[in-house]
Amino acid sequence: MKFSAHKSGYKKTIALSVIFLAITIMALALNVTETPPLNKRSPTKILKDSIASVTAFKKVYRVLMSPRCMNCHPAGDIPLQGDDSHLHTMSPKRGLEGKGLYAMKCSNCHQPSNSPGLHTPPGNPNWHLPPANMKMIFQGRSPYELAKQLIDKKQNGHKDLQQLIEHADDGLVRSAWNPGPGRTKPPLSHAEFKKTWKEWLYKGAYAPKK
Amino acid sequence: MISLTVNQKIYQLDVDPEMPLLWALREVIGLTGTKFGCGVAQCGACVVHLNGEAVRSCVTKCDRANHQAITTIEGLSKNNDHPLQLAWNEENVPQCGYCHSGQIMSAAVLLRENPSPTDQDIDDAMAGNICRCGTYPRIRKAIHLAAKLNGGKGDLK
Amino acid sequence: MEDISRRHFIASATTAGLALWLGLTSEGNLYKALDLASVNFSPFILIEASGQITLFNTKPEIGQGTFQSFPALIAEELEVSLDEVTIKQTNGEYQFGNAQRSGGSASIRNSYLPMRKIGAAAREVLIKAAAKTWNVLESECFAQRGSIIHALTERKLSYGALIQEAAKLDLPENPKLKDPKYFKILGKMSKRPDIPLKTNGSAEFGIDAIVPGMLYAVVYRSPVIGGTLKSFDATEVMKIPGVVKVGTAERIVGVYNYTGVAIIATSYWIANKAKEKLITHWDNNGFDKFNTLDYEAHLRVLAKQAGIVEKSVGNVDDVNLPPNGYLEAFYETPIIAHHALEPLNCTAQVKKDKVEIWTSTQVSSAVTGKGAGDMHVQIGFAPENITLHSLFVGGGFGRRLSMDYIVEAVNVAKLVEQPVKVIWSREDCTQHGPFRPMTFSKLKGGLSAEGKLISFEHKVISPSLQQSRDNSFDPSKVDLAMMEGISEQAYEIPNMRNSYVRADLHIPVSPWRSVTSSTVSFAQESFIDELAYKAKKDPMDFRLELLQKPSDAKKVLLKLKELSQWYTKLPKGSGKGVAVWEFFAGLGGQVVEVTCHKDKTITIDRVIAVIDLGEVVNPDNVINQMEGSVIMGLGAVTKGGINFVNGKVAEHNFYDSPLLRVNEIPKIEVHILTDGGKVKGVGEPGLPPFAPALANAIFAASGKRFRKLPFKLIL
Repeated sequence: MKFSAHKSGYKKTIALSVIFLAITIMALALNVTETPPLNKRSPTKILKDSIASVTAFKKVYRVLMSPRCMNCHPAGDIPLQGDDSHLHTMSPKRGLEGKGLYAMKCSNCHQPSNSPGLHTPPGNPNWHLPPANMKMIFQGRSPYELAKQLIDKKQNGHKDLQQLIEHADDGLVRSAWNPGPGRTKPPLSHAEFKKTWKEWLYKGAYAPKK
Repeated sequence: MISLTVNQKIYQLDVDPEMPLLWALREVIGLTGTKFGCGVAQCGACVVHLNGEAVRSCVTKCDRANHQAITTIEGLSKNNDHPLQLAWNEENVPQCGYCHSGQIMSAAVLLRENPSPTDQDIDDAMAGNICRCGTYPRIRKAIHLAAKLNGGKGDLK
Repeated sequence: MEDISRRHFIASATTAGLALWLGLTSEGNLYKALDLASVNFSPFILIEASGQITLFNTKPEIGQGTFQSFPALIAEELEVSLDEVTIKQTNGEYQFGNAQRSGGSASIRNSYLPMRKIGAAAREVLIKAAAKTWNVLESECFAQRGSIIHALTERKLSYGALIQEAAKLDLPENPKLKDPKYFKILGKMSKRPDIPLKTNGSAEFGIDAIVPGMLYAVVYRSPVIGGTLKSFDATEVMKIPGVVKVGTAERIVGVYNYTGVAIIATSYWIANKAKEKLITHWDNNGFDKFNTLDYEAHLRVLAKQAGIVEKSVGNVDDVNLPPNGYLEAFYETPIIAHHALEPLNCTAQVKKDKVEIWTSTQVSSAVTGKGAGDMHVQIGFAPENITLHSLFVGGGFGRRLSMDYIVEAVNVAKLVEQPVKVIWSREDCTQHGPFRPMTFSKLKGGLSAEGKLISFEHKVISPSLQQSRDNSFDPSKVDLAMMEGISEQAYEIPNMRNSYVRADLHIPVSPWRSVTSSTVSFAQESFIDELAYKAKKDPMDFRLELLQKPSDAKKVLLKLKELSQWYTKLPKGSGKGVAVWEFFAGLGGQVVEVTCHKDKTITIDRVIAVIDLGEVVNPDNVINQMEGSVIMGLGAVTKGGINFVNGKVAEHNFYDSPLLRVNEIPKIEVHILTDGGKVKGVGEPGLPPFAPALANAIFAASGKRFRKLPFKLIL
């Protein structure tokens, strides 16, 4: 799955400082680390629950670290490929916008839809990596690191809570569940993922300790 | 009906919109300069320009190319005198020659976007094009030469 | 029969007016004629009254450069530049004899003198004709750019104007060849006339043939190699719009006969997609139990057998070795595919008892029944009824020495009236062979107390190329093709015994660029290195000590020593490796320098490649060939081989059977030795030294010895 950095812009945010103290106390009590600094519109109906949030994130993490998501969130500038997440053959590079470089732009091979057959390029109209100035690396990130990164607007494509939630329905994100033949889908269904993703975020976006 | 503008000429084709552009070019229109190598976007022998981008025609459906502008190796220049073609001839790049339509079409996008590429830039642009004969050292040399011939300008067609 | 075929060629080579043909008889004698039909000989030069000069290239252009290098031999002596002539590729016509083939790096080494002689004879007879016309001395005339000039009066007659007079004169039996110091083409960096065609899409490869009314076909072959077709159901296939016909087609690969199911349609894409709807039933004949891993284990067991001796010198069993003077090692190499980038293809049209073929092949004369093999029998056409269009070849590497894909395409074409182009998918090319066979090597060496190599044994354990290709092969004999080069090395070793253990295999195998030298050189030249270390000697010195007598191999090593500044120490973690290999195709040696990094990755810093040619035609082309050979060699070392799982090839396409890419190539320096002697080949000798030189360099840098191909550049 991908995080689309291009859509998100800076939006007016509302700090969550109201419950900051409470969360801190809970975090300490539950052996959960620091408070998530999600400074955004506060969905009023949310009840913070660090246990439920961390439990949800652990499931989310499995999805995000599955090849279908992680392969386009590599640690380096070359995407990964296949269920074993090897470096993409022919070493295409991220490029400034995350759309590849020169004669190796993503969409030169990755079509608007999946190409037929095994081992052919999977497709999406918006196929890309995160851009160079916002790499959103998943590969190698611990659950703690990834959770913190996902809610850090400086690292998540400037997304606030609402935008993060909406991101679960991003076209390219959803295409992880339509990977084409021969590719394993993420460990949760998209509906389950979305539910769990929201749960993690709504219940406080807590990061597991490690 | 699929309408393709290939090398500035319009073709109306009665083909399945799912048919890869490669086969429409080669078998229906009869432009055989674009080559079939792998069929799965691995080798780059089939690279053509679709609205200026170096797409792999073996996985690009006619549907995507419908009403779009396509340039094949036959249309890169009128007299085999695109700076890359001149450089390819100057450096005697090809051996069997089969991959070089695709190599040149890929390199053309590189030079357009980066008028004086480094070796690393060349790798970044060209690692998608396989040459079984191993003419890679000459491909590098020729791209550098073409950049020089073009005076470092990026206004290649 | 011969006359009909000759007339056919003559008809297709009609000239506008009077023309003079010059060439060789089948006995190799120089010959000329105004009327080609009057006599049976192979013309290489055609001079027309108009002045138009045509040179015939009988060597299919597979990327090795014969479209320039072969006619260059003639043009040099004829005093014409290649810009001033037309070069025509021959098409296996009867007239051009049985040597219309490209293989074994043989095009130049077998033609260097004969072709020059033809050019020189033509020049001399034209000079004689001019001198006669002007009534002057021959010595006052000279040839220049297609004309004879009288030096004193500057009178000038074009070759075309002289043919009638020349035709009356006898050709010199031993024309005087040019002094190389006056060469204008040979030995000079030259342009290849096929290159402009390869930069604008106009070069016509086999797959590019367009025949009016042509259909396209694919063949579904037994996924398990060796399976036989029991039945097929094409009901659903026939419902697909564009599918024209489904039928069976036989393909013959050496001793193997396979039947596949052909789907003929209005486009390749439709035919290939229709395969998914085809239902086939196969009898796997037990071959679905075949696995590479089991077979490798089997070869290791076979290695215990004594084998059949190929060559024995002295007596290895009777050498007194000091204690600890003995070393043994085992080397393994994989099956690999050729992976020419132009997928196999052939277009054929059958009209009653005649067939017309458009394809890319390395063996034009064999396709038309003139050369070796019996393809015409396999397809059931008389040679004079086979017409070939021999088009540019998008990579040969030995794969297009086999004619199986042509036989199959002709059989497909028999199913319909229209011409049919059969195209193999990349997966077909990867999975159906013939492949390069693997070779396993058991080596033993014995060192004297002074560390001199005094006994050497190399036993090859492998399937047999000959057995795969020829029913008359006697399996009780050594397959010399599998022992290639082993006993030909110039090393002076007093006791040597090389032997062969043949392993049965049901999979078709064939030569792959540099044939068995690409594998046994890895074993042998790595092992020589092991022995050098065992003897506590520098690997270069150790080799040179074994080369006391003058030899070309010694020259190559000395050149490498000089170019690599062999004794210059490299930083810690870096190392140099050397290897040299001589075989039927020629002779080359390489020094590879590597660095082993802290993260265990290995990088190749540079490759110095020396090739000994004796004489060179186009140095620039040789450099290109050598660079390509090193790159192909590196690919064969570091990329995977072909593996069988339950009888099927596990690899499919470049994603799981990868080739080297531009970002993976090392720096390569090429040096050509041309100080006379035997004229040697270009296309292959760059491959065999690479793998051992690399492995030796890695050992020098790290102490780790790789004895099995492929290996990754990781310690």
